[in-house]
Amino acid sequence: MVNHPSKKILRIKTIIISIVLLLNLSIFAQDGALSPAAAEGETLFKANCVSCHAMNSKQVGPALQGVHTRRTEEWMLKWIKNNEKFRASGDKDAIAIYNEYGGAAMNSFENLSDDQIKSIITYFKEWTPPAPKVAAGGEAAAETTSFYSNNTLYILLFLIIVLVILLYVLNKTKRTLKSTVAEVEEPSEEKASAPSEFQEKIAYYKKRINPTIFKMAVGTVVLGGLAAYGFYFGVTEVGVQQGYAPEQPIKYSHKLHAGELAIDCKYCHSTAEYSKQASVPSVNTCMNCHKGVQLRDKYNGEISPEIKKIYTAMDYDPDKPAGEQYGPNPKPIRWVRIHNLPDHAFFNHSMHVSTGVSCQTCHGPIQEMEVVQQYSTLQMGWCINCHRERNVDVENNPYYEKLHAKIKAEKDDKSSNYGKYFTKDGKINIKPADNGALECSKCHY
Amino acid sequence: MAKKQLYWKGEDELLKTKEFLASQKNEFSEALPLDEVFSENNMGLTANRRDFLKFFGFSVAAVSLAACNPTPVRNIVPYLVKPEEVTPGVANYYNSICGACSTACGTTVKTREGRPIKMDGNVLSPISKGGLCATGQASILSLYDTERLDGPILKGSPIEWANLDKTVVEQLTQMSASGAKIALVSGTIHSPSGLALIEEFKAKFTSTTHITYDAISYSGILTANKNSFGKQVIPSYHFDKANVVVSFGADFLGTWISPVEFTKAWSAKRKVEGADKIVKTIQFESNLSTTGSNADYRFPMKSSNEAVYVVALHNELAQKAGIPQIAMAQSGELAGGSIKQAAEALWAEKGTSMVISGSNNPSIQTVVNAINLLLNNYGSTIDLDNHSNQFKGIDSDLYQLSNDMQNGAYSAVLFWNANPVYNTPFASQFVEGIKKARLSVSFSGTADETASLCQYIAPSNHFLESWNDAEPKAGILQLSQPTISPVFKTRQAEESLMSWAAISFDSTTDPFAKKGIYSEKLNAAPFYLYIKKVWASKGVATDDAFNKALHDGGKFDSVAQVSTVPSFAVALNSIVSSLETSIGKKDQIDLILYQNISVKDGQLSNNPWIQETPDPISKVTWDNYVSLPKALAENKGIKNGDLVNVTVGKNSLKAMPVFVQPGQSNMTIGLAVGYGRKGKIGEKGEFDSIGKNAYLFVNTSDFSRNYIVNGVTIEKIDGAYELAQTQTHHSIEGRAIVKETTFGEYKKDPTAGNNQPQPHLYTLWETKDYKKDGAPNHHWAMSIDLNACTGCSACVVSCSIENNVPVVGRAEVRRRREMHWIRIDRYFAFEDKKGLVDKNNSQFEGAFITKEKGLAIADEKAVGSQFEHWENVKVVHQPMMCQHCGQAPCETVCPVLATTHSTEGLNQMTYNRCIGTKYCANNCPYKVRRFNWFRYNDNDKFDFHFNNDLGKMVINPDVTVRTRGVMEKCSMCVQNIQAGKVKAKREKRALTDGEVKTACQKACPANAIVFGDVNDPNSEVHKLFKNERSYRVLEELNTQTAVKYLTKVRDIQNNNA
Repeated sequence: MVNHPSKKILRIKTIIISIVLLLNLSIFAQDGALSPAAAEGETLFKANCVSCHAMNSKQVGPALQGVHTRRTEEWMLKWIKNNEKFRASGDKDAIAIYNEYGGAAMNSFENLSDDQIKSIITYFKEWTPPAPKVAAGGEAAAETTSFYSNNTLYILLFLIIVLVILLYVLNKTKRTLKSTVAEVEEPSEEKASAPSEFQEKIAYYKKRINPTIFKMAVGTVVLGGLAAYGFYFGVTEVGVQQGYAPEQPIKYSHKLHAGELAIDCKYCHSTAEYSKQASVPSVNTCMNCHKGVQLRDKYNGEISPEIKKIYTAMDYDPDKPAGEQYGPNPKPIRWVRIHNLPDHAFFNHSMHVSTGVSCQTCHGPIQEMEVVQQYSTLQMGWCINCHRERNVDVENNPYYEKLHAKIKAEKDDKSSNYGKYFTKDGKINIKPADNGALECSKCHY
Repeated sequence: MAKKQLYWKGEDELLKTKEFLASQKNEFSEALPLDEVFSENNMGLTANRRDFLKFFGFSVAAVSLAACNPTPVRNIVPYLVKPEEVTPGVANYYNSICGACSTACGTTVKTREGRPIKMDGNVLSPISKGGLCATGQASILSLYDTERLDGPILKGSPIEWANLDKTVVEQLTQMSASGAKIALVSGTIHSPSGLALIEEFKAKFTSTTHITYDAISYSGILTANKNSFGKQVIPSYHFDKANVVVSFGADFLGTWISPVEFTKAWSAKRKVEGADKIVKTIQFESNLSTTGSNADYRFPMKSSNEAVYVVALHNELAQKAGIPQIAMAQSGELAGGSIKQAAEALWAEKGTSMVISGSNNPSIQTVVNAINLLLNNYGSTIDLDNHSNQFKGIDSDLYQLSNDMQNGAYSAVLFWNANPVYNTPFASQFVEGIKKARLSVSFSGTADETASLCQYIAPSNHFLESWNDAEPKAGILQLSQPTISPVFKTRQAEESLMSWAAISFDSTTDPFAKKGIYSEKLNAAPFYLYIKKVWASKGVATDDAFNKALHDGGKFDSVAQVSTVPSFAVALNSIVSSLETSIGKKDQIDLILYQNISVKDGQLSNNPWIQETPDPISKVTWDNYVSLPKALAENKGIKNGDLVNVTVGKNSLKAMPVFVQPGQSNMTIGLAVGYGRKGKIGEKGEFDSIGKNAYLFVNTSDFSRNYIVNGVTIEKIDGAYELAQTQTHHSIEGRAIVKETTFGEYKKDPTAGNNQPQPHLYTLWETKDYKKDGAPNHHWAMSIDLNACTGCSACVVSCSIENNVPVVGRAEVRRRREMHWIRIDRYFAFEDKKGLVDKNNSQFEGAFITKEKGLAIADEKAVGSQFEHWENVKVVHQPMMCQHCGQAPCETVCPVLATTHSTEGLNQMTYNRCIGTKYCANNCPYKVRRFNWFRYNDNDKFDFHFNNDLGKMVINPDVTVRTRGVMEKCSMCVQNIQAGKVKAKREKRALTDGEVKTACQKACPANAIVFGDVNDPNSEVHKLFKNERSYRVLEELNTQTAVKYLTKVRDIQNNNA
């Protein structure tokens, strides 16, 4: 079997990079440590604000970096609580900012307490721009796409080998022809030059080895090698589209939305929490923000061409008066599907998301992908490895009550199949694989 | 005792015919065509080495080329605006009404991504109580029928709705003004809104007459009740309150009036646990029906003799009650002593008994009314006040209509849910009448026999695309809602009528009218607003109340009226002459027209699921056939597979296939209506349709339609026809796999019939931990009550829909290659009726027969014999599916581990591993594994719903569509188990009992199937596993199945004990 040292290295690299990335992920939004109040504020900010605001760029609403220097805390409290009431009270600044953003009213947040809003403001104060990304992330992307370049390399190598063989054959033919011609022209005449030591050796072996058997042996080795490689490739790689990064109808950037703007994945892929499918969001989800965000400043007053595609899909004309903006000829967007599981494999997003598997575990550093690509192999072995490594949280999920009770009850029973999951440090260490997660009908039915 | 019983599945098995023995030798019906493949003249591989290399080289090249193909680009097209309630991957459920027949069972429709994919019974509905029959289950496929019209039609060519409306309204207005008669012909309508709408329509077009008729008429009961009690209604029958039911040819568990409702009630009363009495069921009939097969006592009856039986029963009871008897000279034979004994059983249960008749003769029904009155059954088991509205057609109306049509009395005729050219014996009158009418319109969704003759077809929606309401029983209001936008440019008939009668609403005032997000506002459906108006007058005035009714599928909280005892207004002696004329000639054969349990009246006859469902008794699929009694067959020298011509008067059907049916009473033959529709799915060539239309034989004397026809002749002709039968497939080699006992025995000892000593159990394998009580995981298991199962086959269809089981068609069923994951094995056993007659005992006796005696009967070959034993057979129905053996024989022989065991006790089948050795099927003692001999999807050879885009919309996206060459079998609906578990884990709670249900369990109208976690000591299935009646099939093999059966208990005396 042909081995791939390069691939092995690649895999190890990928693992290292993943670890680095995971570490990176937990801190990527915020490099410095936050005070507890600011940390709470960050959570609230992410839950309530990020769909319209970013810290350092203008979105639906203004950029909030340094907003505490521009407004008083009292002003912000009133504005965030209920900006409509605040405007009605006649505050000039409030009315001005409302008009500046084209009359798009901000939601009211009566549900937030003063303390909560103050913690958000603390977060504004403590916020610092993220440090430039660690180079490892970019490298990971490059590495994973390199599968296709490897492939090209193999093809090139193969072509070169064919070329060499061709040259050899041509050369040999040429020589044979030459000698034949020479023989015809001047009938055989013993050459006088004495054979060298090397030539003697070759002649010796030539006499000893049957040339046909020799050729066949070489042929078998070469063919066998090729066949083994082909078999390996065929069995393990066909249908695997790791690195598949097709061009999409809209150049939607996860790097921008999920990375820089830090919009929660589930804001758009909301069904991942309760459905099998994570679902590409419906177009009106885009419109939540992009009614306002048109990036005209970047395109000489024109709407960004990519955002315009959303408008075309919805047949939306922002220049028309409210109520008439939607036309009658919408054109749904045909995204290209990247992750194609075979039809007989049933994967459930909600099960994985609800047990705390992060999106990045399978989808990779999606917040750094300008163009989304398939990060994992999506092969069965890959699924199973994970099911062998993660823990089942039997302690905090009443679904596993009976299992939990049995493990605890039989922890000292050496003959028990379940007691062994009780570790010495008093924890329960049971993997999905120990509890039937490797069985066929978990995923195939 | 039970050991001695001889059970058999079919005549050939009992008689051990040569063909049968030969066919049983092989696992599969035919040898594999290896010779063909390897022969010289057929691209043979034996040709020579060069050819082999060529083929080899070609395949290698082909495979390599195929492997180079880039993966096809697949698209995701998300919603523009996602409807709030639709989530990809999550099913929605809506309560609605099944529209397959006018019984109007409440149903719960499962939709995925806006497509209805499954219908189950609505547990809240008092009609269906969660059950749904085979026909109702299958009717969902008619939504995705390629034969549906995609828009209105004028004389065969498409037309715009606006143009159709314009011309129709013009003509109707003009006719109404000039007084020219307009006929609105419909099936039974009990929708309050529909009826109100018809009244408004009649007010607008004043010359309109509304005529109701049903394909299968219940006019006899309606007329009799009108004469007897002054109420032209079908009463409510409460089988759950009866201790004795005597039925004369009424197949109330199969096809009579409201079979799902009746089965629910009947099976509830059959529960033996802690019961003092179970409903003793006595059936007199000619054809062996579903009800007859479940009856405690079944007496073969020559149906044209029914009047004699009914009068005899009346007189017997009248004698006991000391009231005058009916003075009728009794001519004809009664099954010896049967009536006397039935009378005694009834008399002992006065007030808690019931007598019913399937006859459509008003006089017979009048006598039945008199009997029930005499037994004080009105007000207790029979309720005329909370009556049924499910069938309202009166035969004389239809007769009058057909005459008027023929005479050209109607200028316009509108057919709504009516197909008289097909399903009445007056086809020629209607054909002529339609030609004579100036305007003829059909609302049929397909160009059926009647619609294709009409000028206009204004195709109505499928019921799953429509708003509707229904009042199947007085006081029970049900609501139906669309679960999908109309697939085609169709419009529901009610809306057409509203549009023509110019009834409109301002939809903008309705808060729930749909409003689009685009500038164009979509209006609410007019009929929805109409229903709201009608319901407001019925006490559902607020939007909240209406929405609650919509959510529940109807308004079920109304208080039922007190059921009163009516007064009887018929002098019984005045109907004697009418009774006497109904009696057929003794020496002439009766033809009994009946409904097949899944095909019913034939409205959905082109539905492949319905056709592939085996008849519960004969196990024949895809055809109707002449059901012959053994005696008649022997005397006429006819055998299975022969063809006969059937003639009644001037009507005849040529070349009908014959089936010799044990249990068919002598001098009668059976023939199912509902076949002979023109459709796409019949095999072309041999027959141009599926079966033949038997409606032409309906007896129309007395202005009524009688389904019992005396004086039929059958004549054997040359030729043969093989019926596609599943009967003797998968023989179980005479092992004792059904257990039964009598109710008397059971009361003495609950283990009766199930108390054989435990066989010695040997095993090679380790016992698995999950089977122990208290093991931490689930152990999925199923309990099936043989005492409840009626063989109705709803589970078969439900399973096929849920699990994407392919339809294979007639030819493949003949080769024993049907794919049903669940089948219902039907076993016959002879009844010792002779003992009963000889002893002339007042007790019912002699139901069991010994094995020796049974074999002696089977050898009976005397010419001229009446073959009495052959018309007295007992039946056991046993649903059989993968038993999920704890120590499964299939698992140990699979060379590729494609079938393995899960820690939750499931026998898992992994299609993508299977290489099709079929070893597992060979080694399965229950014969429940099915092999995909072909690719059944996208294959023109199997042109059913898997072969077109529309039909594929019904596919369950949670189950793999299998391909050629893999084995498959019951998975216990593992997709539902997984979904249930995921939901519980996500919600951080334990899984509750009953949360996960299998498709068969949901469908079962008899609650015979219970599924659950046997490791949960509180689960129902755990309790049933501990029941004394619980046993495993072939326990001696120590397969430790996860399916257990409960002994059948018959309410009979036992003379062998």
